Amino acid sequence: MRNIILMTLLLGIQFVSSTQAQAKVNIFACAPEWASLSKEIGGDLVKVYTATKANQDVHYMRAKPSLLAAMRKADLVFCSGASLESGWLPILLQKAGGPDVQAHTTGWLMASDYVQKLEMDEGADRGDGHVHPEGNPHVHLNPHNITKIAAVLADRLYQIDEANVTTYSKNYEDFTNKWAQMIAQWEVQAKPLQGANVVIYHKSWSYLVDWLGLNVVAALEPKPGLPPTAAHLKTVLNSIEKNKARAILIAPYEDEKAAKWLHEKSSIPILRLPYTVGGNNRAVDLVSLFDDTIQKLSLK
Amino acid sequence: MSKKLLLAASAVALLSVSPAVAASDAEIQEMKNQIQQLQQKIGNLEANQVSQPMSEKSAAAAGSIDRPATAQRAAKNNSFNPGIGIVLNGKFNSFSSDEGEIAGFTTGEEGERGEEGIGIDETELNFSANVDDKFRGAATIALHEHEGDIEVELEEAYVSTSALPAGLEVKAGRFFSEVGYLNSHHVHADDFADRPLPNRVFLDSNYGDDGVQVSAVLPTPIYSEVGLGAFRGADFPAGGAEGSDIGAYTAYGRVGGDVGDNTSWRLGLSTLQSDGGISREVHEGEIVFEGDSDLYVADARLTYAPTGNAQQQELILQGEYFHRDEDGTYEDVDAATGAVAYDDSQSGWYAQSVYKFHPQWRAGARYSQLYAGDVPAGLVGSELDGEGHDPWSATAMVDWTNSEFSRVRAQYSHEEGAEGEGDNQITLQYIMSLGAHGAHPF
Repeated sequence: MRNIILMTLLLGIQFVSSTQAQAKVNIFACAPEWASLSKEIGGDLVKVYTATKANQDVHYMRAKPSLLAAMRKADLVFCSGASLESGWLPILLQKAGGPDVQAHTTGWLMASDYVQKLEMDEGADRGDGHVHPEGNPHVHLNPHNITKIAAVLADRLYQIDEANVTTYSKNYEDFTNKWAQMIAQWEVQAKPLQGANVVIYHKSWSYLVDWLGLNVVAALEPKPGLPPTAAHLKTVLNSIEKNKARAILIAPYEDEKAAKWLHEKSSIPILRLPYTVGGNNRAVDLVSLFDDTIQKLSLK
Repeated sequence: MSKKLLLAASAVALLSVSPAVAASDAEIQEMKNQIQQLQQKIGNLEANQVSQPMSEKSAAAAGSIDRPATAQRAAKNNSFNPGIGIVLNGKFNSFSSDEGEIAGFTTGEEGERGEEGIGIDETELNFSANVDDKFRGAATIALHEHEGDIEVELEEAYVSTSALPAGLEVKAGRFFSEVGYLNSHHVHADDFADRPLPNRVFLDSNYGDDGVQVSAVLPTPIYSEVGLGAFRGADFPAGGAEGSDIGAYTAYGRVGGDVGDNTSWRLGLSTLQSDGGISREVHEGEIVFEGDSDLYVADARLTYAPTGNAQQQELILQGEYFHRDEDGTYEDVDAATGAVAYDDSQSGWYAQSVYKFHPQWRAGARYSQLYAGDVPAGLVGSELDGEGHDPWSATAMVDWTNSEFSRVRAQYSHEEGAEGEGDNQITLQYIMSLGAHGAHPF
């Protein structure tokens, strides 16, 4: 009798461990760009859940039930950090996150922790609008940042799923080789854009602007996080008459009304860039995201 | 610039505080050089730290736990101080009726309508932080004025686990219990200036008590969560346990998910069981209830973002249904009814809709209804006798949200709390938040 129990137990343990070996690593990605990078490095070994869509403003999401269910299964939480997700991610971690995905553990990866952030020294007074004293969190639009973050992600996957290190390391090498070539190509393509004046909606473009050497002449938001006002748009109109701007950049989730008004008054073209993977039909992965962005910016 | 100033200041300080050690020019020069060297070293270190590229292969191959390249990762809320937030809340109330009574129900102090005129409403102080890698702590202190006195209320003071496996969470201390939808939320996050009628009469606006709660998010494809709680029974509708008795139990279960990309929903069932010989004094002691009071709540919530981006436009539908069974005795002290046996049920519900039609503007409507139930012969003519009237209230509100930290609201309600006592209520309100502000649940 005791033997039978022992056998059943052993079989049970074996069953559990064998299913565990086959189980994919569940990645909870806060945004499509991180989901896309996860698929590049993780390949078939990971199952990626994307918490937000390109047409949603990641900052203003709710800690909705579907996200709790997804967090419950997460082995790795991959987000931008720097307070971008502070309105909802803490609730998910607290209620549904396991011990291995809590802050500062292996399963908790905040991309902005691993790159040089912009706008860090700007004051922390909310009178200046929605400021992020930790620096600008929209880090993915400089492809050099993607390179750095890919390395950290690969390293985390090695630790979480040791059995598959070879595959991850091959995926990682393939990706970084391809990525380095693409960066070189983009930088040649985008050379003529250096110094071009642009109008932005929100500081979501800072890293792209910094990378390509663009020059922001105005923002449609009077202050970060506050929607455009008529009075502010008039000031913008006056200021851009002096410095001719090449385009008004808006993200898929940013409202077009203010940009349209400015376009009608100034004839500066509106450029709806994909911003992240899935932001338009052509941006289906990280490579095509940057391809499309550079192409759209380069069009006269 | 500042470095030079610092250097000059320290040199002056050195010279002035230690006149006995008359330093020669050469020595000062020596010191200056040393300081400059140190500054250069620090500068180099900082530069390395910031721009150090995660030299890809080495970092990836090393298999070590990476550390962020930047030193500023924990700027938020300060690493070692709790996040401190203050919610400032001011109100102007105007009521057409002198009586704010809700006939047939025994409301507690908090469940009564607000005070008339201009005044600050609740001022909330929030503190929260991770205690360590396994625990989190939070406290909310509310200051409010009641009949000329400032009352300090410890609304919440609890610790919870943050690193339990299997979706488990244990919460202990004083906290708003998970009964229905609104109860566990702070009033400052509400979509209307006051709580709906059923929350006011059945939960005295908020049931918060000292106790322990265990909850688990289950590993199901859609969201599901269950929880159990045991409490002292010190807050309305419980009336205080004796000795080491447990005065109240709660249990809840809920499910939720998405329909397509733009719609999210949540459904919940919960109960609050106040057992044993509890006694409750309401209406400033005029009415005493002793006995068992069991509350059952069903709640539903749905959010819909027409464009997918809730920041631009959003519709929120929400409703709760309450059913309360009470078995014990009621006594209206003023009416000298004596303790009258009572075994009956009461119920109520509200439904509300809030529509954000512009990133900063929302409009909402709410209807609340109560059903008082029968009155035993011994209580006819007492406060508990609603004379067959079922109280209801209809509310409309509009609010303007400048940023996520400030909101200004105007609200109108018509409340029929008692037969022939229609009360037109106008409320103007601001809610502003300073400092750290935690995330809000769905």
